[in-house]
Amino acid sequence: MKKRLDSMELDFFLQQLITGLSNGMIIALIAIGYTMVYGIIELINFAHGDLFMLGSFLALTVLGVLGIDAWTGGGTWLGVLLLLLSSAAFCAGLNWSIERIAYRPLRASGKLSLLVSAIGASFILVNLGLFWGGLPLDVFAGGVAAAAPKDFPPLVPNTNLLGEDSLVQLTPKDLLVLGVTLPTMLALTWIVTRTRLGKAMRATAQNPVAARLMGIDTDRVIGATFLIGGALGGFASVIYALYNNTISFQMGYRAGMDAFTAAVLGGIGSMPGAVAGALVIGLVRAMSDGYLETRWTNTIVFGILVLILIFRPSGLLGSRAKEKV
Amino acid sequence: MAARLNPILAFFAIAAALPLFFGASGLFYDAFQSIFVFALVGLGLNIITGFTGMLNLGMAAFMAIGAYAFAILTCDIYPFQVGFWWGLLLAGAVGAVAGFLLGAPTLGLSGDYLAIVTMGFGEITLDVLKNLEAITKGTQGINPLPRPTIGGWTIELQDERSWYYLLLVLLGVAVLFVRRLERSRTGRAWLSIREDALASQCMGIPPKRTRMIAFATGSAVAAFGGALFAALLSSTGEPNSYDFQVSILALCIIIVGGMGSVAGTLVGAAVMVGMNAIVLVKIADWFGAGDSGSSSNVLASPNNWKYLIFGLALILVMRLKPEGLVPPRLESTATGVPPGPTVSVPPAGGRA
Amino acid sequence: MSLLEVRDITMRFGGLTAVDGVSFDVREGEIFAVIGPNGAGKTTLFNAITGVYEPTRGSVRFRGSQVRQNPDARLVRRTLVVGVTGAISTFLALNSQEIWTAAIGANYLLGKPFPWQQALADAWATARAVPAVWGVIPAIVGGVIGAATVLALWQRLRRTPDLIARAGLARTFQNIRLFTDLSLIENVLVGMDSRLHCGYWTNLLRLPGFLGESKRSTAEAMDLLAFVGLADRAQSAAGSLPYGHRRRLEIARALASRPTVLLLDEPAAGMNPSEVTSLMQLIQRVRDRGITVILIEHHMKLVMGISDRIVVLQYGKKIGEGTPQEIQADRRCIEAYLGAEDEL
Repeated sequence: MKKRLDSMELDFFLQQLITGLSNGMIIALIAIGYTMVYGIIELINFAHGDLFMLGSFLALTVLGVLGIDAWTGGGTWLGVLLLLLSSAAFCAGLNWSIERIAYRPLRASGKLSLLVSAIGASFILVNLGLFWGGLPLDVFAGGVAAAAPKDFPPLVPNTNLLGEDSLVQLTPKDLLVLGVTLPTMLALTWIVTRTRLGKAMRATAQNPVAARLMGIDTDRVIGATFLIGGALGGFASVIYALYNNTISFQMGYRAGMDAFTAAVLGGIGSMPGAVAGALVIGLVRAMSDGYLETRWTNTIVFGILVLILIFRPSGLLGSRAKEKV
Repeated sequence: MAARLNPILAFFAIAAALPLFFGASGLFYDAFQSIFVFALVGLGLNIITGFTGMLNLGMAAFMAIGAYAFAILTCDIYPFQVGFWWGLLLAGAVGAVAGFLLGAPTLGLSGDYLAIVTMGFGEITLDVLKNLEAITKGTQGINPLPRPTIGGWTIELQDERSWYYLLLVLLGVAVLFVRRLERSRTGRAWLSIREDALASQCMGIPPKRTRMIAFATGSAVAAFGGALFAALLSSTGEPNSYDFQVSILALCIIIVGGMGSVAGTLVGAAVMVGMNAIVLVKIADWFGAGDSGSSSNVLASPNNWKYLIFGLALILVMRLKPEGLVPPRLESTATGVPPGPTVSVPPAGGRA
Repeated sequence: MSLLEVRDITMRFGGLTAVDGVSFDVREGEIFAVIGPNGAGKTTLFNAITGVYEPTRGSVRFRGSQVRQNPDARLVRRTLVVGVTGAISTFLALNSQEIWTAAIGANYLLGKPFPWQQALADAWATARAVPAVWGVIPAIVGGVIGAATVLALWQRLRRTPDLIARAGLARTFQNIRLFTDLSLIENVLVGMDSRLHCGYWTNLLRLPGFLGESKRSTAEAMDLLAFVGLADRAQSAAGSLPYGHRRRLEIARALASRPTVLLLDEPAAGMNPSEVTSLMQLIQRVRDRGITVILIEHHMKLVMGISDRIVVLQYGKKIGEGTPQEIQADRRCIEAYLGAEDEL
């Protein structure tokens, strides 16, 4: 009896671990978008979470228009790929445009004006999400209740890969998350460390004036950063929607807050840090949901954040630059 | 000096005169009462972010703490019942203590790390208020709250004009105190930390203690505002009345108005809250005149355009007036002062 | 006894040794110069002296004592207080609902006088009845918070710039660090901060003493601005000053604390010859006020013209010390500068 209980506890723990890691990886994709933008223009891009939200609305629209949920077999995976690509392209383009319209003209006028502009952009995106939910499409339930959460059809099955008897659930959804995030992050690492663009990005992040003097078109580099960050947000939005099967125009706030917290926890500006921070937050959330009470989860997440920052004031993987005196 | 005081005096003079013209309108009182409450919250944030340069994204938490402290101390469902005025004062004190407790371990953090900690504090506060139902009454909120009495005369809830002037006077007192601090040794230390923390420390100013005092003062002012917010409603309202949106609103108030400027905070509150409470409502009325039925079309309901308009306005203000509506306290170029005669003057070298 | 004893100061940043075992003494009332090629570690040395950096090794004694807070009983007491407060508040946070219900919810009836003693007794009883497990968590949290406090306080125990400034060492910066959005007079008043006494409540409530001190300090700040020749722009923003004037304002700000020692980091950088001449006069007038001056400078005319003694640094090491005449005769010191400085 005792032994059985132990194995059940272990199962439960493993389950929370899987859930936590999957959610953590989704957060990581969003967090990278925050951390990249922060690294290069020191802006907390408030609109990023809502960009992510719009990405999922686009995915649902594409899905509805093309009737992807009716596709079967290999078609499903093709559909998922299509959603990923369209959502990434959309978010990248939107992010780039926001930078162009709302941020670039303000870059010279200080961090806080930029921040307010980002807040403004965030409000606009939320409102667009609300309107979008009112589209008269079947996938939006005819658009009658625009503000209501929308069901996202379960394209990816929820079957247990570990067998029907196993108490631990490892589903194709978890694999999808892994299958999208891991290659994306590897590709991103490659871009940042190996390509000309990546070098230009790092140079601009370190010293924009010097970078410009060295002939780097910093405007273009910043634009590219927003493109990449947006694309990652687009990926995240699709896998989030497929993982949770419900989306709402208000979800950008929660996702954005988690992701931003992750970016700060890992050391803002550091990409590996953002991933580490996101995994920590995903895990803490899952463990707190599982072992304590869900209603205290936010408190625990932020409590842990504060404790970590007290002991490591620059985040887990951040390095504190010494001020030149 | 007198020239700098003017926008503030103008604000109060106009505010004192306004009821003579709009006295009949309930909308007017609703709008201005919340303008005054948010001006208080903005004033607190202005001390923390505007004067001392610590980005705070959790101002709503201190407002909530003030509101709940006031409610618990005065509501007749609890035994304390200290009365309106003591309640206000103690709410401010509780806010200061909360600011102190949050600040003590975290004020060593640099800019954006502190911002996320304050944001997290806002979330934690909301959670606590929602979850400790035995104390906070959960989503019901604590009510009813007492009405203020001045020398035996009680301001009833419906007496909007008296509330208006009460809030105006209390806001005036707060502004006076904040201005006094700003123009004293205390305020100079705050400003110097914002300008250059290291140089300020090398002048003998202890950074952590100074930050802490600023943080506690700002929290107290915001809590005071929160207490008045609850008193006005005669209820704390549900915990979600103090969510992240409120913190963001406070931040927008001080940035749109002009960072670090008391006059700017007042103007910012008038513009931001006024837009929310008057302009958007007017637009709603105007739209609503044509189509009053609940349409299934989301675009038809003007309330659904609120955020869009708000967001566009924020971006526009920042593009047109990135320094805020009220210009910074000192002109950055000295006008009317001839350069010293003996020294050749190179062009001012900028700040880089 | 010398005023400032610098002993064996070493500063390492990772693998780089910026300052390596430098020692010298500064006597009261002299103008003492630190010179050396770029990158010799002069500014780093200044930062170690003024507490901006904690030296890897070595000590700085001012009037025979290291300016440092002593880890006395206060540290232990504070840690205890904070730890216990943390533990109690965690305990309350975890059990507040039960205690509140037992003490207030159960005892309070609308309209009846509230039995305070009964309530306290019930609260205590409920707190006692909490299972031990819930007592462990607060203890842990209290411990963690206490530890964090020790950490924070320990950092305060190092030589922090504010303590050193209050002890009487004021400085300027190589890349001028004024409070650009404050007026000139406010800049000077910030420098005066350590000598002012009006506290928070005095300032808030305008208690007696406020007006007097504010008048006195403003007058004194105006005098200082006049001393450096900037009185006519007292109300304009420091950011609006031309470069040469900024140095003067920085010196006025440093003087405002009535320091015993004034450390100037390349005060003549970027100045034209006439400005340098008036700066030399200014420094001499500062010394005539009885203030010891330590300066870093590349401008040899200035250094040789006004210094009483000079220390020469190269690659972080001291390679010479003496009067201007001795330094000018020292071959090593000349070689260190060959090519780097043609003014010698």
